[in-house]
Amino acid sequence: MAAPNPEGWPQRVAAFSCSPSHFLSSTTPEDFLSDLLQDLKDDKVSESTKVLMLGPLQEHPTILCPSPQVGEQTAVSLLGIFSRTAHTPKSVNLKCHLMLSIATVLISTSFVKQGVKVAEGFLDLLFQTAQDTNDQKHGGMFRPLRAIACDCLREMETCCPGLLSHKLEALYSLKQQEMTPLHQAYTLLYGVALRNAVHCLTLQKDVMDGDLKKLLASNEGFAWKATEKPLELVQLTTMSQIPVLPSNVETKELKSVVSLLLEECYLLTPVTQAALLRELTQVVSMVQSLSPAIFKSQLLRLFGTVEISLLHSTLQMKGTFTDSLFTAEDENFLLKRLVGMAQHPLLSTPQKLFYIECILHFPENRPISSNGEESLPVLVTPRMAASLFPTVFNDSSTMLSRLNILSLVYLEDDEEEGIGYIFDHLMALHKIVDHHGTREMTTTFFRAVYIFMQNFYLNEKYTIDLIESLSELYRRHYTLAPNLINLVDSTQKLLEDSSWPTDLLKALQMLIVELPLQQLIHQSLYWHLKVLGRVAKEEQASQRSTVRFLLNLLINSSLCGLGDWRIGNALLSVCRNLLQHPNLDQVFIELADLLQFMMHSFEDVDIQDHARFYYTLLTNLSKEKLSGVLNMGTGESQAKIRSLSSIMAESEELSSCLTVHRTRQPVLKLVKLSEDGISKPDHSSSGPEDSTPDVDLLKVYQKQFLNPEFASVVILKYHLTFAGEVDALYHKLFCICLHFEQTDSNYERVSDVSVPCLIYDRKPCVVSLTLKPWRPYPTVLHASAIFTTEDGLSWHTQLDPIPIGFPDLFLPLPVPVHWSQGSREQLFHQLWKSLCPEESSQSATSLFCFEVGERSLREVIESSFHKYLVSKQLNPESYKVLLFLPPQFYVLLKIKNSEDAASVSIITDNWKLLPFINSYIKCITDYSADRTQ
Amino acid sequence: MSIRALWIISQEKGESGKVRFSRRYPTVESRASRMGRGSYVPVPEDSALLRPLLTDLGLTDPEKPFVEARDGCSRLHRTAALELVLEGRQGAGAALWPVLAISQGGLILACLPLVEAPPVPRPPLPSLASVSQGFSLLAGLQAFLSGSGAGKAEVESRLALLPAALMQACPLGTPLETPQLCQPLPPPTVPLAGPQKQPAWKPGVHRGRALVSVAVSEQVRSMQYGNRARTDLWDVYGTVTCKCDLEGVLPTVTVTLSLPPNGSPLQDILAHPCVSSLDSSLLTASSVDESDGSAFSGPYKFPFSPPLEPFHLCFYTSQVPVPPILGSYQLREEGSQLKITVNLKLHESVRNGFEYCEAHLPFFNRGQLTNTDLRVTSGQLEVAREKSLLVWVLGQKFPKSREVSLGGSVSFSGAGSLGPVDPLCTELTAYIKLYFRIPDVTLSGCSVDQHSVQVYSSVKPRITTSRELISSEYYIWNSTGEAPVSSGPMRL
Repeated sequence: MAAPNPEGWPQRVAAFSCSPSHFLSSTTPEDFLSDLLQDLKDDKVSESTKVLMLGPLQEHPTILCPSPQVGEQTAVSLLGIFSRTAHTPKSVNLKCHLMLSIATVLISTSFVKQGVKVAEGFLDLLFQTAQDTNDQKHGGMFRPLRAIACDCLREMETCCPGLLSHKLEALYSLKQQEMTPLHQAYTLLYGVALRNAVHCLTLQKDVMDGDLKKLLASNEGFAWKATEKPLELVQLTTMSQIPVLPSNVETKELKSVVSLLLEECYLLTPVTQAALLRELTQVVSMVQSLSPAIFKSQLLRLFGTVEISLLHSTLQMKGTFTDSLFTAEDENFLLKRLVGMAQHPLLSTPQKLFYIECILHFPENRPISSNGEESLPVLVTPRMAASLFPTVFNDSSTMLSRLNILSLVYLEDDEEEGIGYIFDHLMALHKIVDHHGTREMTTTFFRAVYIFMQNFYLNEKYTIDLIESLSELYRRHYTLAPNLINLVDSTQKLLEDSSWPTDLLKALQMLIVELPLQQLIHQSLYWHLKVLGRVAKEEQASQRSTVRFLLNLLINSSLCGLGDWRIGNALLSVCRNLLQHPNLDQVFIELADLLQFMMHSFEDVDIQDHARFYYTLLTNLSKEKLSGVLNMGTGESQAKIRSLSSIMAESEELSSCLTVHRTRQPVLKLVKLSEDGISKPDHSSSGPEDSTPDVDLLKVYQKQFLNPEFASVVILKYHLTFAGEVDALYHKLFCICLHFEQTDSNYERVSDVSVPCLIYDRKPCVVSLTLKPWRPYPTVLHASAIFTTEDGLSWHTQLDPIPIGFPDLFLPLPVPVHWSQGSREQLFHQLWKSLCPEESSQSATSLFCFEVGERSLREVIESSFHKYLVSKQLNPESYKVLLFLPPQFYVLLKIKNSEDAASVSIITDNWKLLPFINSYIKCITDYSADRTQ
Repeated sequence: MSIRALWIISQEKGESGKVRFSRRYPTVESRASRMGRGSYVPVPEDSALLRPLLTDLGLTDPEKPFVEARDGCSRLHRTAALELVLEGRQGAGAALWPVLAISQGGLILACLPLVEAPPVPRPPLPSLASVSQGFSLLAGLQAFLSGSGAGKAEVESRLALLPAALMQACPLGTPLETPQLCQPLPPPTVPLAGPQKQPAWKPGVHRGRALVSVAVSEQVRSMQYGNRARTDLWDVYGTVTCKCDLEGVLPTVTVTLSLPPNGSPLQDILAHPCVSSLDSSLLTASSVDESDGSAFSGPYKFPFSPPLEPFHLCFYTSQVPVPPILGSYQLREEGSQLKITVNLKLHESVRNGFEYCEAHLPFFNRGQLTNTDLRVTSGQLEVAREKSLLVWVLGQKFPKSREVSLGGSVSFSGAGSLGPVDPLCTELTAYIKLYFRIPDVTLSGCSVDQHSVQVYSSVKPRITTSRELISSEYYIWNSTGEAPVSSGPMRL
């Protein structure tokens, strides 16, 4: 891709960010990266544009720098640009972005290593920049650059823990000196470095008493060694075992460092305070001789905060230190605060939802179990939780979240009254849904039922009532069928041994079969059949009433006469499930009647066929075989699903099976076989001398064309192969159907080509493309393919366009094989004569001369016209060539070599072919001339 | 404590969503892939994220009544974090978790926090430090984009400022501060570093007149049923907002909230992080507890050093003995007419001086209002026929008796015809909603005495204080119909 003008960058960057994969389908990462780097160096490009151009490197460095080498080179280039950019206030923003980009590239290509010059150089640059505390050297305009340098250092330390562990003293004094708001960046940097340094120390063998003190006072180079064996990146507090320092270690200095950090913590923004508190919590947890009481002074401030991140870090502190920092009273107090905040009218919904989760995962001092599952803290009483009782005015998430926690409370308490409250709430929702509540309300209601069942499925008093209410709801709102079916499926999965889902289905079945016929209007019937179809999957539900209902329905209504395919299909899908029912025997005869009735009376051929098919299966197969056949789809390979779709139950997977997906990138390509591999109908080999007696050769020849198929097609051969490296998904393709579309009207439609299979790593497949030209002009064909992958999915892919060149269309003189050389020559002359312009208005003659290079004329002719040669003479050197172009056009050439130039006399019966033949001859002769140079 | 990616999506009703802004943090991503090991799910491209996110938020396929991925029972939406099932990926590697999302006014803000814990089994949300950081960032972004009542055009221009703001607030995926609208550049001439470190949340210092203003704003909620079987409910919650223009790097102020004698204590107090210390007695009262007379009831001292911008010093709730306006509402169906009787009584302890006071009587599922024959003892009545809404404008004052009433009958075009519908308000289930504001009053009695505000600063500032009471969710239900409440424990 040519380098675009700088004005194009905003669009290019936007297109890239929007979808890198799509953007890179028209260019390569290397090209894009080199364009970027080139224009970044360009002084004419404005700084704001350059900032924009750094975006892709800051967001997708691994796409642009796929290998560490490219990453290193890119970082080197960027560092070069950084140092060439003037150190003026105007350029600060660009320099910030350059710094950020370099850090991003180095870290994400894992190139922060010892011995990597650019990484070492960059770290030095960061450290130097950070050392200008209080803007003494460069002034306040460069403060953003210092901020970014600190952030980059911190990120380096976070990703390569321990890197700064030998610089703690230097970092500490920087943090102490800084008085501007930037002290926050230094403080957090120090906090992270301190945590990692102590962590490294815990992993050392033989820690001496003074090691911690030494660590805090260290002011050396970068600790590359620490990065060789990287620390676990996971938060120490989530580790099962926190590594600790031996208790004899001297901690006086550390204590004063931590105290000072906590004292000044108040000067940081809340999120940074929270981050620092977490680092310090981890430090103190690793140094056991340091008492967690050091945090005591902060606790009240933290308990009372409105900030989610600060409260969260307090909870984490609680989880880490438990009763060594928090008394039982504190615990009760904190929990009460949490419950209060979980419903505080002035907090945002996400914050409140989060607090509810925090209650359910509350770090108790003495937890009964700690398996990470939701559980209710012992101290939460029904009284306390009452304030969280949901109302119908709550938004969906809040309502469900509260319902969940309240259910746990009442379940724990085994309080009948509480369950009653919750059931009443369900009924309030039920009423809203009954009055055509919104879709969201409906979904919420069913989810609420799900939560209720999850907790109280053993309480028959309510679960039976619930079945009744749900049936009532269905009676009035049959469109809720999918919600009900989903509820049944979900609760069945959840409560494996409960009969409730089946009971609900039985209730629905009873409701439907007892409906008066006239109420079964078309629309509702579809949903009723869906429900009955689901009921038919239930082993414990008797199916007799269903079958009788269906038979009665068909006999006594106009359904069969209407022949609605959709309804027919829904009926069949019930039947299909019935065929699989373990108690099929009980309904065998009725079902046979039903199917027989359908196959005779249902006014839709497809439905009749299916009914007949099912009938045949039912009456001819043993039960085992029957379920064997019908079960084939489920759980087996998807390829089978496809072939058996007619007897398959509908499911979402099936619809994905029946959809044709589109490949993102071309998967296949056609590569033209070289000339040698192509077997064009060979007419050139001549028969024995004089096998043609005295006849009018031209007449005989032309008589062949009375058959319209004669010599009317060109067959081109291609290899069908994979388009480069393709996803493993496409390594085995089946039933490939290639489809071609012409771009002009000079050819007859090209018929599709089928290939049974194509397998990666095996030989490519040879594909013959049959072209039938009306006018033999060069063209381009568009090609696409549909194929099936191993998993049974169908795909559509676009192939690269296939160019059809002029020489591809040449055929040798189509004469019977037994014609002798002489006869052919004779025919040539006759044709030549007949083509003279005086004879035909369409024909034309032309003369073409060219210089014969070192490569002899003979070689040129042999290589390009070998198959079309009618005669050749050596002295004087001359050739006669006949190019036949279907359906029936000729280009005849007489080529003579005189002195140092060759001349080609051309005659053709279609003057429109002249430009093509001219450019072709020019091409082959230029080629020969080029080759000789 | 970092986030891997951030998205801002616009979604107008009836339109498909569009990713307006996204930012990925590759250095955090490299940590995610190292920590996630086998179960690492890379951040997808924007287009691949959009649909699963909208589906999880219930915003796709509005025309389909049921879509399993959106409406399935077991896809519970009670957590604050979403699990997005990405298309085209399968098995364990298909779910992106935990995606935090908040939506407001056609904008959806989402981010993906880093999971700094062993990924299997899935760690509980509260064990992840990055989650609260993510919420903070999203809340900050929300304020940045649509804070101070920004209109659509304003949101657009703020979106354009976002990359620069994030460069400061979250350059490498670790949130450092809330994104700032105006980024005050440090002064070109740097003041000599003083002995006091400047707070990171205070990028500059105030110059000019010294001023401290403290405003207490209380909102009252109520559900009145007029039914012996149901207890009427009300509560009040307050916000104390401060604006302090004071010189100096770290001036300190102490604001004291006080209650009248016998006032019920302020509960669930939440303080702004600039409050430097809190007394434990302030935090003891909680709405969760049974309140007893012995609880601490002030004065409530809040020492703090103010940030430059106005801020909420604290939030509280309170249980007050009486609602400011007690109402009764009765509907009776007589033939095609609906007989209405409404009585409202202003409590004697509440100052009779409103900025505005309106009672809205909406009617649902009955078609449009056709005839009204109504009398009021005070105020005016406005009728919005198409909306089937009666607005009773009570003005600035209740009459001397402090009681007003409305009576008469209305008729409607009928349920089948055009008109407002509501699944909640069927048959005789109906409500009155009150809207009012009373200046210079708080229901809890909470107040800030001008003289109690202590300021430690070189210049004596002008100090102003104010109070107000505003209605919020103030409902009076028709006592002859069924109110949409469950029998659960009595709470708002």
